[in-house]
Amino acid sequence: MKNRGKDMGRREFLKKMGATATALGTGAVLIQAGDLVQAATPPKKYGMVIDVNRCIGCHGCTIACKSENNVPEGVFRSWVKQIIKGKYPHVKNHLLPRLCNNCEDAPCLNDCPTGATYRTPEDGVVHVNRDICVGCHTCVLACPYNSRFINPLTGTADKCDFCYHRITKGLLPACVDACTGKARIFGDMNDPKSEISLYLSKYPVQGLRTYLDTKPKVHYVYADEAILNLDYSYLSRR
Amino acid sequence: MNEPIQWISWIKHGVVFGYLIAMYMFLISMAVGAHLVTLFAKVYYRDEDFLPLEKVGTFLPMLILLLMPLLLAVDMTHPERAYTMYYHWNWTATVAWGAYIMPLCVITYAFHSFYLFRPEMMVAVREGRPGAELYRMLLRGKIEEGTAAEIRQRRQKAERLWANISIVFSFLALIYVGMRLSAFKGRVMVSSLSMVFVFMSLAASSGTGFMILLGRLKTATVPPTQPALIKQNRFLVDFGVILKYALLAQLVIWVLYLIQLNFTGTGGKLAAYIFLGGPRSFYFWAFQVVIGMLLPLALVMVPAWRQNVGASVAASVATMLGAFFAVANLSVGSQLIPLTHLEWEQLAPEPLKMAFGIIVMVVLLLLFLASYKILPYETPVSQKSEA
Repeated sequence: MKNRGKDMGRREFLKKMGATATALGTGAVLIQAGDLVQAATPPKKYGMVIDVNRCIGCHGCTIACKSENNVPEGVFRSWVKQIIKGKYPHVKNHLLPRLCNNCEDAPCLNDCPTGATYRTPEDGVVHVNRDICVGCHTCVLACPYNSRFINPLTGTADKCDFCYHRITKGLLPACVDACTGKARIFGDMNDPKSEISLYLSKYPVQGLRTYLDTKPKVHYVYADEAILNLDYSYLSRR
Repeated sequence: MNEPIQWISWIKHGVVFGYLIAMYMFLISMAVGAHLVTLFAKVYYRDEDFLPLEKVGTFLPMLILLLMPLLLAVDMTHPERAYTMYYHWNWTATVAWGAYIMPLCVITYAFHSFYLFRPEMMVAVREGRPGAELYRMLLRGKIEEGTAAEIRQRRQKAERLWANISIVFSFLALIYVGMRLSAFKGRVMVSSLSMVFVFMSLAASSGTGFMILLGRLKTATVPPTQPALIKQNRFLVDFGVILKYALLAQLVIWVLYLIQLNFTGTGGKLAAYIFLGGPRSFYFWAFQVVIGMLLPLALVMVPAWRQNVGASVAASVATMLGAFFAVANLSVGSQLIPLTHLEWEQLAPEPLKMAFGIIVMVVLLLLFLASYKILPYETPVSQKSEA
């Protein structure tokens, strides 16, 4: 009787193990299938193209961003870099408007210990949840584009989110609205008829530090290599 | 390509991980290194007289690891939300792993320390020695019979189990500090797994230095009996040999690391330049190489100097200083490379944070000295095994 009881226990154990393994396997397959279905129906992919030829360096985007998002003094969500290249009389002025690239494979998102940095799956925009950000500075360092900072007012990480409060209401980001030369083109890159998609198909686009494979969603057209990708040998030469 | 370039407008981003975070990573690697070196030496010696040093190498690192979150908390802008890391966990973030690894590391060290001190505490309670009431409370009133050696023998399995688990967590902690830096994808100076090996070499050298310094301090504060003192001095002199090889390993790893940087594009070359001739070169050559590696190496290379208390203590202090500057050079130096313009980023002075870091160090030293007076590091001769 005792032995029989033991046998039954073993069988029961094996049955339970089998059932658990089957359930786990099925669950894993379903999760994978869910991912495939999600991938098959592409969500929106908000992005921006900046045609540097149209930028006049008025810094209107910087001001508009500061005003729209209440960005404190000394820190920037959007700014414009400017260099002068060459010797008089052969001098050229180069500009590069900068903002968060809202990367598809964002290092800041991967490095955030609390998950305060997250991506909205329906449009791919990267956000910061100010309620759970601990202000550990990790994301600021993890961003290879220096697009993040600690907001002195909130004490949390901050960055451009394409003016999410505006784009979800059908408006354009403040910097795009304010751009005098219409250098910034914003829209859904997954919509083949959108202005940004047409622009992307028409012009050869460049990106910042593309070798890092972060898949930035801010693209540049006609940007000069000297301002786009830094020549570090300049620093060690000096 | 070689046209002159003049920068008209850009913004500076500064250095966000300052000396406090460098101190955090240095102290973790030193504490963990001290524990690992002690345990491996214990396995090598298998000597009862090594126990007091094993206690030094387990309990004091535990104190360091226990106070380290304070440095992180001061560096955070919202430390009151730090608990969110535990329930709102992001598995791809190194810091999130550290939030679990470091407390578990402390717990394993605490259990190991408890089993190390337990027999001597029981004997002290039975004999009514100073601190008996505190020990009784720590032992929850459960006092066993027999000599300290017999009590230890009875619970040897538990002691070894926690020692083994602590080894695993110590390595995980070293991987954590290494990966904390290497996770920064865009920072060419630190974005490689070589950081783990760099931290392992720093842990070995600074940990051995810590053991020599705190071991000497222990024998000076609570001198053991003459035969035990002779043996402990011998162990400490042998730690000098370990320090010699640890420093040589550190030297080799740094040479390899700098060679690797030099072959990692213009960014890597610039990173190497930061050490060799750039903004961190003074700290690199003076503190890291001369004081932190060459001086201690010279001091422990000669057997007669290894036996000299002053020389060995100087070597250990210099090694620890060098290891701290090595971590600071990596952590701060990696952020000096600008990502959006061509001016070196600047580290803003952090007097309050630095003062806090120094206060934490002083508190730690006082805790070490207090623990020497309060806890039974030495086993009385009558309580040792007859063998």
